[in-house]
Amino acid sequence: MSRLDSFIRRLEAQRACLDHAITLVRDVPGVIFELGLGQARTYDHLRALAPEREVFVFDRQVDVPDAWRPDAGHLILGDIAATLPRAGVRFAGRVCLVHSDIGTGDATLNARIADFLATALPPLLAPGAVVVSDQPLAPAGTAPLDLPADVKPGRYSLYRRA
Amino acid sequence: MSRLDINIRRLMVQRACLDLMARRVDAIPGPVFELGLGNGRTYDHLRERLPGREIFVFDREVAAHPDCIPDEAHCILGDLRETLPRAIARFEGKVALIHADIGSANPARDARLAAAVADSLPALLAPGGLVAADRDVAFPGAEPLPLPDGYAPGLYFLYRNGAARAAA
Repeated sequence: MSRLDSFIRRLEAQRACLDHAITLVRDVPGVIFELGLGQARTYDHLRALAPEREVFVFDRQVDVPDAWRPDAGHLILGDIAATLPRAGVRFAGRVCLVHSDIGTGDATLNARIADFLATALPPLLAPGAVVVSDQPLAPAGTAPLDLPADVKPGRYSLYRRA
Repeated sequence: MSRLDINIRRLMVQRACLDLMARRVDAIPGPVFELGLGNGRTYDHLRERLPGREIFVFDREVAAHPDCIPDEAHCILGDLRETLPRAIARFEGKVALIHADIGSANPARDARLAAAVADSLPALLAPGGLVAADRDVAFPGAEPLPLPDGYAPGLYFLYRNGAARAAA
């Protein structure tokens, strides 16, 4: 499998998981958190899937054309270790969907971020909220969900708060 | 269509075109040129689909994944408008397949670069040599080829060099 093949698979898995997650939270009120803007592909996809929802983006820095950039009110810049707990004050129990796409090539760093998210996310989640992640997370108080049929196990992860 | 949808479709058509051209190029001897290494994804795909084929990569700078960087002899760094005409002396009439992945978010810039690339193609391509490009690089003697099934014209551009035989 070439890097082109695996990149296509990753984006398809991402899309299948986000499409699935959006249907799961249809009746869950709340806002969406996107952790990691990257090229703004999934941010744009989430807005297209749920135009009625507010999407807040967290990233250390953004490097995309202005047209793809969230407005200042929906872009929270900084280290998520600081920004996410701070957002908890405003959004406690009010986030219906979190998409975390912050995996790096560094397995140790990924594990540290995953540990942080596993404890930082639960206070944010509304009952019935879904977490979609490129890394295994196991947030406290959530249960893992089956992936969409066409996504290979381990490629992406889905969790739902009871 | 979201930007995620558009990206997936673009990558799928790119892969389908490269796979089609990799099959067709089997009968044509000569090296392959990759114009624009980027992060190295399509370079990796081409070398996987065309084992044993010499691939030369042209880019302004190398910013690819470390696994996807060709050795120095196959990396030709600099502005395509200079490096491609300069490559003619060494590769005239020899190149079997050229993949040009040169598009950006700036259509005017892309059109200028595509025209500059097109200028060098007739001299570089072997008779029957193939071109796959993400922008229209139509060149004198180019025979357009249909895209793989299921993809609308204009998503990618495929050509066969039909004129080089007459020039020989």
